[in-house]
Amino acid sequence: MGNDEIHILKRALQREKSARKQAEKILEQKSGELYDITQKLKKANKKLKDQVGKKESELQGVFDNLVDAYVLMDISGNVLEMNDTAKQLFGYDIAQEKLNVVGLIYKDDYRYAMESFQELITKGSFSDYQARVYTKKIGVRTVHINASLIRDKNKKPIGAQGIVTDITEKIEQKQIFEEQKKQLSIIVENSSLGIVLAQFGKILQTNKAFQDLLGYTKEELQQKEVKDISVKDEYVSVADDLEKVYTGQIDNLSINKRYKKRDGTSFWAKTNISAVRDHNGNIKYQVALIEDITEHLESEKQRDLLVKKLERSNNDLNDYAHIVSHDLKSPLRSMNALITWLKEDYEDTLDDDAHKSLDMLLKKVDKMDHLINGILKYSSIDKQEHPNKNIALNDILTDIIDVIHIPNHISISIPQNLPIIKGDKFRLQQLFQNLISNAIKYNNKEKGTVKVSCKDQEDFWEFAISDNGQGIPKKYHDKIFQIFQTLDDKKESTGVGLSIVKKIIDLYNGYIWIESQEGIGTTFYFTLKK
Amino acid sequence: MSLTFLLIDDDEVERLKFARVLQKNGYTHKLIEAKNGEEALQHLENKEQLPDLILLDLNMPKMNGLEFLKILKSDAALKYIPAVILSTSNNHSDLKGCYEIGITGYIVKPLKYQDYEYKIKCLVEYWSINDLVQL
Repeated sequence: MGNDEIHILKRALQREKSARKQAEKILEQKSGELYDITQKLKKANKKLKDQVGKKESELQGVFDNLVDAYVLMDISGNVLEMNDTAKQLFGYDIAQEKLNVVGLIYKDDYRYAMESFQELITKGSFSDYQARVYTKKIGVRTVHINASLIRDKNKKPIGAQGIVTDITEKIEQKQIFEEQKKQLSIIVENSSLGIVLAQFGKILQTNKAFQDLLGYTKEELQQKEVKDISVKDEYVSVADDLEKVYTGQIDNLSINKRYKKRDGTSFWAKTNISAVRDHNGNIKYQVALIEDITEHLESEKQRDLLVKKLERSNNDLNDYAHIVSHDLKSPLRSMNALITWLKEDYEDTLDDDAHKSLDMLLKKVDKMDHLINGILKYSSIDKQEHPNKNIALNDILTDIIDVIHIPNHISISIPQNLPIIKGDKFRLQQLFQNLISNAIKYNNKEKGTVKVSCKDQEDFWEFAISDNGQGIPKKYHDKIFQIFQTLDDKKESTGVGLSIVKKIIDLYNGYIWIESQEGIGTTFYFTLKK
Repeated sequence: MSLTFLLIDDDEVERLKFARVLQKNGYTHKLIEAKNGEEALQHLENKEQLPDLILLDLNMPKMNGLEFLKILKSDAALKYIPAVILSTSNNHSDLKGCYEIGITGYIVKPLKYQDYEYKIKCLVEYWSINDLVQL
């Protein structure tokens, strides 16, 4: 090999050496850099780890403190995580026992749950799922769930998480509220009163009764204002008062006004307007209750008319009593005078028959006078309304015994302890006097007895006036109380006495009845309230 | 003492009855008769010859007893004449109305003439012993 060759080889070696050296130097430099980077990475990694840990614990805090229940599950429905709320809601602790959500689905909601799950798989989430679930401790609850799918880095679904809210109570409250609303609207719709909700004259709502009253539909009325369905003059006349309701000076206004119907006619209604305030106390609405008083007014009119008529006929009756007292009595007095004069002036020329006839005529006149007095007494019983006073019946009966004529063959027994009764002296006297004098008048026994007695019957007194007279046949027991009914055409029977008795007892809300045996005697019973 | 009675009654028999009582009992009192209130007022126009006592029926056509009584009692000269009512009515309101305006007596006409005669005799005897206002 030549020097040149050796020289070339040496130079090449030299170059190779220096190149290696350079390469080694670069390598060394790079290693140092690598080391630095590694160190930096290590540091960064640690920092990152710390931060992740921090975030994780932060998340755990959020997770635990969620008001709503949070459930994390794998794709088969096995629960992996639940927060405290979820544990409380479902009543399970997955640290103690395994839990699969499928077992929690309420049987009737199963299909819906599966559909929702399908949606979760295909779309990645679902929201506003609402269904019932079984819980361990608090029975079936209605829950609201928002859920989303969790995928791995290959987009493969590996689990799902859901926020669960227990809305059972909310639903119950809503149901109660709805129920109450329904009940209220039943009341409003079925009310026989018309009801209108208005806002300062503008009609907002009406019920069926009001729509029927006016003949408009609900929608038509909502287009109207109160003045559209009112009679103009009347609306103007109450405008001031309405303004007071609108401004809150008064809370309530009651008026009688007319409403115009769809067919153009109108009707009278009592209208009660109340102000409705919001929770700040500001006036928001006016509620009006409308009552059709057409019939009421009509019957009031009828009643007034009737009262007037009654007044008139009552006055007529008074006049009638007056006419009876004078116009009928006067001629009787004249007749009595003229007959008496005939008898006096022609005493010698008249024969016995004529005298007899004139005497009979006088008797008839006398009877006529009795009748007229009877009618007068009967009609005046309830005329004068005297205030009820305490009347001692023993005093009344003593007076009666003094006044009426008692023949020697009649003995009357009256107990000493008759009660004191609230009533009118004149009426009570009439009552007892008529019964006692009847008992005397119609007594046909040689030794006649009349006995007054009284029994305390708690709420009322029961009186009895019994005699040993001729008795009254059963068929007349009702008839004798009718006016002008008399069983005796001799003497001065007018048929008024017992009808007066009956009228007085009716006035005092009492009863009267008879027990009688023909030929043996009669007892009149009657009651007077205490 | 001879009295002058003014009897106001629309019923002829009533006037006859009163006259008969006076005549049959030998009273010498003077009797003026009027058929109603208006006629009575005509009699009273002559203030020189006023009656001593007025006997007044209540129910009469035209001017009735109460109306006459009101006029009588509101007249300065006539109000001193005592007025006695002779009526068939013993109606409470009639009695009250009469006494309110001012009467000196109220006699209910009884049915029987004998009873009537007795009452009128009492009346005449009573007023015979009375002192009366002379204007």
